[in-house]
Amino acid sequence: MNQGIDLQGSFVNALVDLGISPGAASALWLPLPMVVILIGATVSIFVTVWLERKISAAAQQRIGPEFAGPLGTLQAAADGIKLIFKEDITPAKADPILFTLGPAIVVIPVFLSYLIVPFGQNLVITDLGVGIFLWIALSSIAPIGLLMSGYSSNNKYSLLGGLRAAAQSISYEIPMALAVLAVVLMSNSLSTIDIVNQQSGYGILGWNIWRQPAGFLIFWIAALAECERLPFDLPEAEEELVAGYQTEYTGMKFGLFYVGSYVNLVLSALIVSILYLGGWESPISVSWLASLIGVSETTPWLQVITASLGIMMTLFKAYALVFIAVLLRWTMPRIRIDQLLDFGWKFLLPVALVNLLLTAALKLAFPVAFGG
Amino acid sequence: MLGFLKQVGDYAKESLQAAKYIGQGLSVTFDHMSRRPITVQYPYEKLIPSERFRGRIHFEFDKCISCEVCVRVCPINLPVVDWDFDKTTKKKNLKHYSIDFGVCIFCGNCVEYCPTNCLSMTEEYELASYDRHELNYDNVALGRLPYKVTQDPMVTPLRELAYLPKGVMDPHDLPPNARRAGQMPQEILEAAQKAAPKETKTES
Repeated sequence: MNQGIDLQGSFVNALVDLGISPGAASALWLPLPMVVILIGATVSIFVTVWLERKISAAAQQRIGPEFAGPLGTLQAAADGIKLIFKEDITPAKADPILFTLGPAIVVIPVFLSYLIVPFGQNLVITDLGVGIFLWIALSSIAPIGLLMSGYSSNNKYSLLGGLRAAAQSISYEIPMALAVLAVVLMSNSLSTIDIVNQQSGYGILGWNIWRQPAGFLIFWIAALAECERLPFDLPEAEEELVAGYQTEYTGMKFGLFYVGSYVNLVLSALIVSILYLGGWESPISVSWLASLIGVSETTPWLQVITASLGIMMTLFKAYALVFIAVLLRWTMPRIRIDQLLDFGWKFLLPVALVNLLLTAALKLAFPVAFGG
Repeated sequence: MLGFLKQVGDYAKESLQAAKYIGQGLSVTFDHMSRRPITVQYPYEKLIPSERFRGRIHFEFDKCISCEVCVRVCPINLPVVDWDFDKTTKKKNLKHYSIDFGVCIFCGNCVEYCPTNCLSMTEEYELASYDRHELNYDNVALGRLPYKVTQDPMVTPLRELAYLPKGVMDPHDLPPNARRAGQMPQEILEAAQKAAPKETKTES
């Protein structure tokens, strides 16, 4: 198996050669990928906000942001600066502790989930054995924060929004987890690295989307619902609930919700691309191409190319999915709360169960194609 | 058993139909992305109001005969006409006239019915102010003429959709003498006047 580029090993070896003990070298390495991912996630907000505004504008025959930076790329920065300088208001009869904790509890798990997002064979913060399960567990913390902020705002719209958010997240987590389970069944591992490796080798033909088309759709719909993207944005339905649980928030606390929603969207798109679209794998397998022209997989320049291509592929797939999410936003009307719950419990859940059973049956019948 | 299968089949068919409709909707929004934006960059570009635009009302103090027809035809009796009767000349003497544009609905009844044509509609529509009482225009404010969009050096005037040549949707970068679609009002009038003598001849 191609191990790919190993930055950690090289970094630690270089420091050990300089006369630092291996433990200290590893400790020095630890914060680097975290900081890189944190910065990457923050930059992804700018990119996503810009994409969202520009694509929305194009879909409505508008121009979109134009004056803040070249082509309006700094619009998100302008919004952020405005939010930072706004007065931080806590309503008089709100619960101040819960009111402050709410947005933090919503945002932190989203950033934490980036722990398990791989951009290459070794380009991941930690290759956890429970990988994808950690993400499911972390994403179920967010509704607690939403409920907290909805309740503590002491506002009926906020409370309704928070309750709706909790109901929505809980209902859609189940079909989502079942869809993930079908993928895990095929790769025999919860680790995101193993899931991608199981799809590798055959280029675009090996991706899970061909083996799990129903699972892909279920997961994408459920991910949109988890992110409260437009067909499912009823926790903050402005026509009915003002802004749902965000109603009483201003300044940076509101900014945290805003940041959380966009990072969560990118994260969901990344997870979809890892689970179903082959992660960092290119549509045409690079290792196959390399063997075709007779270059060894351990050649340094090939490893650098593979690694950078892998990062670009992951990001490209994720942003293609973000594009679809933005387009869906302007295509579909918001569904009602009863329709939302009906759809989650009466359609997605049975379909996801059938999908899981089918996958298990196919795995027994065709162990070659379905990872026996 | 068969009834159950039929139910399942119908349900699957409905879901597929829903998916098809979503796909159709997505293709519509995707198609719109390749269309040109219709944005008018407002403070820098402005649309030229049409001839019949009902903007802020203009009032000519000297023409007014204080008949108060405008007050009577107004849906809410809005114009305030302050006059007293001059016994020597036996005429009404107008002292003040005002209209509150915070309340006016720009229906144009007063302009329509004014016997001396002292009221008229302008093309001014930028009436924003910090205080609603500033919208209560007295006869001096009502007598001011708005600055025309076409004469403002800071503004690029753009033609409205009905004033563009046939088939053109984008008002930017038009040739300066591009003709609008259809006949101009004066052309229709000329044609009517040419046709009219013939008609009278045939009648007589």
